[in-house]
Amino acid sequence: MVFCQLGGGCELPLISIPPDLTFIVLAAVTIIGSIMALQAKELIYGAVALAVSFIGIAGFFVFLDAPYLAMLQIAIYVGAIVVLILFTIMLVRREATDELTDRPERGEGAVGVWLAGLIAVAISGVAALAGPNLPAEPQPASLPISDLGPTLALQYPIPLIILALLMSAALLGAMALAKLEK
Amino acid sequence: MALNPWIVIVIWAVIIIIMMSAMLALPMFWSRRKPDPLRDMPFESGQVPQGEGRRRLVMQYYPYLLMFVVFDVVAMFLFAWGISFTKMPLDASLPVILFLVLAAPPLGYALHLALNRENW
Amino acid sequence: MVGFPPTPAEILALIIAIVTSHQFITIVVFPGFIHLLLVVAFLTWYERKVLARIQLRIGPLYAGPGGILQPLADGVKLIFKEIMIPYKADRPLFLGVPLMLALLAALPFAVIPFGQNWVIANLDVGIVFVFAAASLFPSMILLFAWASNSKYPFLGGLRSLFQQVGYEIPMWISTLSVVMLAGSLNLVDIVNAQSRIWFIIPAFLSFIVFFIAAMAELERLPFDLPTAEPELVAGWVTESSGAIFMLIFMGLYMKLYLMSALVTVLFLGGWWGPAFLPQPVWFIIKTLIVATFIIIPRGVYPRIRVDMLIKLGWTRLLIIALANVFLTILLLSSGVLSAWGWL
Repeated sequence: MVFCQLGGGCELPLISIPPDLTFIVLAAVTIIGSIMALQAKELIYGAVALAVSFIGIAGFFVFLDAPYLAMLQIAIYVGAIVVLILFTIMLVRREATDELTDRPERGEGAVGVWLAGLIAVAISGVAALAGPNLPAEPQPASLPISDLGPTLALQYPIPLIILALLMSAALLGAMALAKLEK
Repeated sequence: MALNPWIVIVIWAVIIIIMMSAMLALPMFWSRRKPDPLRDMPFESGQVPQGEGRRRLVMQYYPYLLMFVVFDVVAMFLFAWGISFTKMPLDASLPVILFLVLAAPPLGYALHLALNRENW
Repeated sequence: MVGFPPTPAEILALIIAIVTSHQFITIVVFPGFIHLLLVVAFLTWYERKVLARIQLRIGPLYAGPGGILQPLADGVKLIFKEIMIPYKADRPLFLGVPLMLALLAALPFAVIPFGQNWVIANLDVGIVFVFAAASLFPSMILLFAWASNSKYPFLGGLRSLFQQVGYEIPMWISTLSVVMLAGSLNLVDIVNAQSRIWFIIPAFLSFIVFFIAAMAELERLPFDLPTAEPELVAGWVTESSGAIFMLIFMGLYMKLYLMSALVTVLFLGGWWGPAFLPQPVWFIIKTLIVATFIIIPRGVYPRIRVDMLIKLGWTRLLIIALANVFLTILLLSSGVLSAWGWL
């Protein structure tokens, strides 16, 4: 019996590696990262876990055939916003952060797991019932990178302009806030 | 066999992580580990360290971090436009030019504000 | 195809097929892992020799002929040293961040082409991948400085953060000119577009901006603030010792090689050269010349002041890079370059 083919995937009855394996790994990284970002005792660890979950999302963008967006995600989110978060955490007094350790309520984790299990059962039940009538997996629209610019400029000029105004407003607002506290 | 380049990058990253971890793990076997309170004190040119190591410092340069975020996004959009500059007719660049024209004065003004703050 | 369970002869054939495949050679040997380690070790020796000649000294002399084995001696010494973790330092970050630093410095090498077929992974988003990996550096340095739980590293880390963050934008905008000239983000395409003319000529201002910004990103003199010796002992690397220091050191020199290789790919025509030498050799020669020019100012210039640093990065370099973008727009839309057959 031939399970694995060289250059192809391994075909086991339920899942076929590698696309599903990639999805599972990416999803695990993202979800565990975000859970740890919420639950970490040290704020810095939380920020690092947040960066990890952002990288997981960037991995999803690569998986969905949008590598430019993935690089944009890493450069902007992990490269700039996480830096801002880290910088802010480091400049806050220790006393303000030490009181944030609130103990989880009794059974909080159990309720969460139970709800997640309910949702999983519901989705797989619907999928199993629909059976062969499930629509085919939608193929992500493949946009070559050289088409990204023209598409953006020609089909979405108004969002571009609004984006320019929004970013300028956000930046000037942040500077005004910074000036106010002096 | 032609591998997907992203898989190759993952393989490359894994190789590097393994080798670097080996370099980090070797001292665990080969070097001494005796935590000594005198040696482990943070280095302050010989004197006894005072105060917390991560003090809160008034950092006046943080507007530059804010500006970095905005300029980062602008640069990424410009990259998307710049690739296809030679392949598009000129009027397709007009929204991007308008984008730049609308965003440049406020960004320039923000830069001017940051540079001329009376704190430094 | 391999049956299940595979016989030893099939496994052997499989392993031989993998090891001799071009892909494997690029990953492991050239321009992959072994080449990277050797060049990084060579660069440490090379820098010390160059600086020594500038300062009328000789440099490493005793370890091997002409001191060439000095990096090996340094490596062995650092591995045997004890790793001292400062009091109340953050142990996971202290140990993990240098690993990430070395990884981030080595990761972009996967997309840099050393020859027409000598690239580990030919990504379509090549240059943006390099910049995305480079943008993670400031946060790593900040984390390490914070994890050291000591004042000198923390100050150095903050300075390094603002320095690196401030010079990334000029670097990106100057690359924008090159990307517009080449019409692609793929590094192989960018080098191929320079087969007639190197981009340093139409994008000369961008070259200057990129070079200066690269020196600031590498924290090399005259942008030496984060590790300024008279002020901060050793800046953000103060508390690192032994293998931690070796990882950070290797990360810094890999970044030097990376920036030099980027300058070569973007502006100096990559591997194009007269055909009497193979393509990768030309690439390495050009990269070493660029690295020399990055190393030399360390022995020549004084350190730049903080506010002059910020002004330089945010105003003058940015304006020069933008000016070059407009120049490129003019060049491309007027068709000068294609009329003369250069593009």
